[in-house]
Amino acid sequence: MNGWIGTTLRVDLSRGTIKRERTNKLVARDYIGARGMGVKIISDEVDPSADALGPDNKLVFAPGPFTGTFAPSAGRYNVITKSPLNGTIAGSNSGGVFGPELKFAGYDAVIIEGQAKKPVYLWIKNDLVEIRDASAMWGMTVADTTDALREQTDPDAKVACIGPAGENLSLIASIMNEMHRAAGRTGVGAVMGSKKLKAIAVIGTGEITVADPVAFKAAVMDARGKIQANPVGGVGLKAYGTDVLVNILNQSGALPVNNWQDAYSPVADKIGGESLAANQLVRPKGCFACIISCGRATKVTNPAYAGVGEGPEYESAWAFGVDSGIDNLDAIIKANYLCNEYGLDTISMGSTIACAMELYELGLLTKKDTDGLDLSFGNAEVMVELVRKTGVGEGFGKRLQEGSYRLADSVGRPDLSMTVKKQEMPAYDPRGVQGIGLNYATNNRGGCHVRGYTIAVEVLGQGAPTDPHATEGKAALDIVFQDLTSALDSSGSCLFATFGIGGAELAGMLSALTGVDYSLEEFMKAGARIWNLERLWNLKVGYTAADDTLPVRLLTEPIKTGPSKGRVNHLDQMLPEYYALRGWDAAGVPTPEKLAELAL
Amino acid sequence: MLIKYFATFRELTKENSLVLNAEPANIAELLELLSDRYGTPFRKAVFEDGELSSLMILLVNGRNVRITGGLATPVNPTDEVSVFPMVAGG
Ligand code: SF4
Repeated sequence: MNGWIGTTLRVDLSRGTIKRERTNKLVARDYIGARGMGVKIISDEVDPSADALGPDNKLVFAPGPFTGTFAPSAGRYNVITKSPLNGTIAGSNSGGVFGPELKFAGYDAVIIEGQAKKPVYLWIKNDLVEIRDASAMWGMTVADTTDALREQTDPDAKVACIGPAGENLSLIASIMNEMHRAAGRTGVGAVMGSKKLKAIAVIGTGEITVADPVAFKAAVMDARGKIQANPVGGVGLKAYGTDVLVNILNQSGALPVNNWQDAYSPVADKIGGESLAANQLVRPKGCFACIISCGRATKVTNPAYAGVGEGPEYESAWAFGVDSGIDNLDAIIKANYLCNEYGLDTISMGSTIACAMELYELGLLTKKDTDGLDLSFGNAEVMVELVRKTGVGEGFGKRLQEGSYRLADSVGRPDLSMTVKKQEMPAYDPRGVQGIGLNYATNNRGGCHVRGYTIAVEVLGQGAPTDPHATEGKAALDIVFQDLTSALDSSGSCLFATFGIGGAELAGMLSALTGVDYSLEEFMKAGARIWNLERLWNLKVGYTAADDTLPVRLLTEPIKTGPSKGRVNHLDQMLPEYYALRGWDAAGVPTPEKLAELAL
Repeated sequence: MLIKYFATFRELTKENSLVLNAEPANIAELLELLSDRYGTPFRKAVFEDGELSSLMILLVNGRNVRITGGLATPVNPTDEVSVFPMVAGG
């Protein structure tokens, strides 16, 4: 095979067995790789009713066909599993160099099955694959684990691992690679913890063959040129990182504040990318083969929050920042570092703290619950301490590690959890941007922005700009973004490459790489196939159309201040059209004709 | 009228914001006034062949001018205008 390696690794931790299998060519063609291939494997092999944290759930690590090639921003891999947070067929996408290394070692996917009796790690060096004892590493932070593993295996080993949060089965635990890159969302770290798999360390020296090297090189150079020429890909993200969005969303009236009680903050500038660039930025940092380099190597010298590491991204700065009433960027960065150390999803962690703060201010949580801590909005010191407590599973942290939905539900106010399908929403307020609300409501993994980033045209004015306050046309827009991202995630390229190239360029590169002829239409159809397969899984676990909704606050409580003052989201005006355009019936179930069209 | 600058526009103007005591009728007139104030680099950043540059994001009271009429978008003395380079994130 070209682009794909042709080999899938299957590791059964209950039995201690390791098998090499052929990658199914037809599955590779129809589901591309990474996310798509993982979704197909989980949906074929895991019973939707299986306990997500039991031995019958599986965990797939999968790079895509682009991963490890010199296609732009092709450093991505996906982790796919049944989510312990919400039961969806979920997954998370991460950059860095771990994905490419897995590919160089010779694998299109690694399927982890069963449950080990004691802590283990997986050591992969090309054909050599071993399940090794990790007892000495259990309890270690991500950085310490990574160092220890490199000492035990190879100083150049690439490591994906969990921290204490994943070991403690926190439902918001991430899987970290290269210490600072995260497969953050949907609680994938807890699945790894439930399998007692502390880490995967990998070294690979193989090559990826290309079907038509001349055409591939030409297509890649064309794509790189377009990304370079685009102001976002070429300069913008490198200079300011994603945190530059703080001011844009704030000035647009769509930056959620104090657990989404408002959508504008007069102090947002203090936590934006401009402030970060002036004060804590050491240098921009990129993933494998990336010319964009949106990552931030940072340093905090303020003794109260001192440290060195990476981040924050826009989402993290928002969640630990204005959503928690906080404008202290040093504290925000410290919280981000702790999440990386303990292996926690920054969006869900920050948003859970914001929810806890609102419950505290309403008297639904008191100091008796919070280990004596004052959870008033704006208390930066306490915010950082709550991240630590959650990371190690101590006291009130044990409640936070379940995410905001279970916390708010436990005091009778699930409506104050700013989640969709129990997963915390990212930092774009659907009251100020209608289409992103439809995307949150219909997203297969719950509250998620990257799998349907309509912000690009609704707020940033890229491509064909549309009015963020309009509901017309948003159903079709969402579907295009969702399908394109499904295919893109599956290819192994980064979402940010699309600030410069589109489906046509991606399909062209993929065809030259794999030798499979992907037209733009076929590429988008693969995306729709993946989306619908995820939907079918969600229906099997019991989700219905009633779950395709937003927190009631966003539908009924108008924004109080700022440019979007007075607005709510009008999901009801968009959802029926979305179902119709998707080829789903009024109950949100794909019709037999749609399934036939997608060969599902 | 309050003009707020962000990201590279802060470097370009050496200001974070400006209270403008003039009354331009629309975005075109406003950008002309500002170009006179800040000079050629600013002019190059905001105009592209006489049109609104595709390299910037311009909001009037939170509304992107690309959907409200571009250079012809009317402005009032009480408006707040935000000027960003074209950036994005996720
Ligand atoms: S754009 Fe950012 S996240 Fe994407 S591959 Fe490049 S550095 Fe990594």
